[in-house]
Amino acid sequence: MQKFEELNHYEIFEIPINASAFEIRQAYKEALSIYGDDSPISYSFFTEEESKEILGRVEEAFSTLIDQEKRELYNKMLVREKKIDPSSLTKRRQQVPTPLFSSKTHGGAAISKTIIKKRIKDENLKEAEEVILSKDMISGDDLKQLRKTFGVKIEDLFEVTRISVSILEAIENDDFGTLPPTIYLKNFLKAYAELFEVDPKKIIDGYIKNLNYIKGIS
Amino acid sequence: MTHIFAIGGGKGGTGKSFIAANLGVMLAKQGKKVVLVDLDLGAPNLHTMMGLNNLKTGLNNFLNNSVKDLSLTAVPTKIPNLYIISSIRCSLEVGNLFYAQKQKIIRAISQLPTDYVVLDLGAGTTYNTLDFFLASHQGLSVFTPEPTSIQNTVRFIKAVYLRKLKHILKHHAFPTAVKEVGYESDDGVVRSPLDIVDSVMRSDPARAKLLQKELRKLRFKLILNQYRKHIDETLGNKIEKVCNRHFYSQFQFLGNIAYNERVYDSIIARKIFVAKYPYTSTSTDLKNLANKMTGNNVQAPTLKETNAKI
Ligand SMILES: Nc1ncnc2c1ncn2[C@@H]1O[C@H](COP(=O)(O)OP(=O)(O)O)[C@@H](O)[C@H]1O
Ligand SMILES: [Mg+2]
Repeated sequence: MQKFEELNHYEIFEIPINASAFEIRQAYKEALSIYGDDSPISYSFFTEEESKEILGRVEEAFSTLIDQEKRELYNKMLVREKKIDPSSLTKRRQQVPTPLFSSKTHGGAAISKTIIKKRIKDENLKEAEEVILSKDMISGDDLKQLRKTFGVKIEDLFEVTRISVSILEAIENDDFGTLPPTIYLKNFLKAYAELFEVDPKKIIDGYIKNLNYIKGIS
Repeated sequence: MTHIFAIGGGKGGTGKSFIAANLGVMLAKQGKKVVLVDLDLGAPNLHTMMGLNNLKTGLNNFLNNSVKDLSLTAVPTKIPNLYIISSIRCSLEVGNLFYAQKQKIIRAISQLPTDYVVLDLGAGTTYNTLDFFLASHQGLSVFTPEPTSIQNTVRFIKAVYLRKLKHILKHHAFPTAVKEVGYESDDGVVRSPLDIVDSVMRSDPARAKLLQKELRKLRFKLILNQYRKHIDETLGNKIEKVCNRHFYSQFQFLGNIAYNERVYDSIIARKIFVAKYPYTSTSTDLKNLANKMTGNNVQAPTLKETNAKI
């Protein structure tokens, strides 16, 4: 878990670095429904002091990002401190706007490959990788746990790998009725493994072995 | 080994017993053997949700040693594969269990010869309730959309988290200086668990990772019951998000369960809701809940069968 105080403005809103003004407003509105003064969530979780501080950070994030000039200065600072990849500032966006900072299915904000890669560097997470690699049979749920350990949503995974959410879900649920033919499945598993920097061969073999086992008992 | 679900979550009247009973039915309908255990020792009423009365045996027989094997106190319900261990015949003082008895119950439950156990817990944050919750494989916290219920469920989550935190500090022999912060402050006020973790991390950064890792093993499931149409349908997701952002444990929102007036009628008529009204959205929600909960289970291979069939 990354501490709230350490999140950058984009991470607070869970929006991409190149989010549009519309997306920023939407995300701000969502954030207020959680952290705002009269949100029952906020006053249930935090002391008055805590919620003041959090709300202050949300306000600061919004006022910085919504102001073109301030935002550019802020971005430069992030690049300078190596917190973001400069190429993410200019990357082309998807045509269809996706709702952001909403937890509805498919509504999650996209996170960049760089953020995932950065998290993977964290020693703590190495352990999660070792756990999964030590298994002989790897279930969809194991993959899901791995993904969750990295704090990656299924929609994020789609953003990065471009494997459709329904396929990703089928993989994670061992739903062999929906899974694509093995040759494609292997490719998808490989993409999955490479993203999390775990040995693709082990993942593919372990997953297929488990799948055959499940098929056998059903 | 049996897989234990605990249904808890702070406030009374949110629907813990209703969900425990009907979830039990849905699990049994998946073809699994299920035992419901009424652990709301102060106010047992799970049997009523199951439309049963005059139960002859129950937890009391196990606690007073007249039956040595807990599984023999389980009584069949009207649903095939579904059994109940009631505490309706326990003495009125049993609400305050001794530590040894609590341990004895937990041990016996984990050895029940069944696929699933569903524990119906009481309201509040007494140690008994917290420890039963922590003894489960999956702990569900049930809340309704009212601010008071959200408040109580957050309080419950914090209490479980704090209890777990104290266990970790104790078992991993954190230095006493660090340990002290885990207990009450001078004025006797229980400190915020968020605050405690932070100060432990500050005073013992070398072992902060261990603490984080152990806290991460704690997994909460969240359920919003008595959901009505005009309510923000992402309320549960938002609470999940805040929990995952601000606690070191793992939280998963499993969905909304629709409010239905006939829940009340079915209880009055001593009928099992999902059996009497299977085509309501409330029953569909409960069925989806059961599927999600078994899909989450990785250990028991028998469950994979269930997954494959869905
Ligand atoms: N989904 C629902 N729709 C309508 N009423 C409900 C629902 N769930 C629970 N209730 C009502 O709430 C009351 C309390 O439920 P109960 O399961 O006894 O709560 P708890 O065990 O949490 O104290 C029930 O008597 C029932 O009438
Ligand atoms: Mg109850």
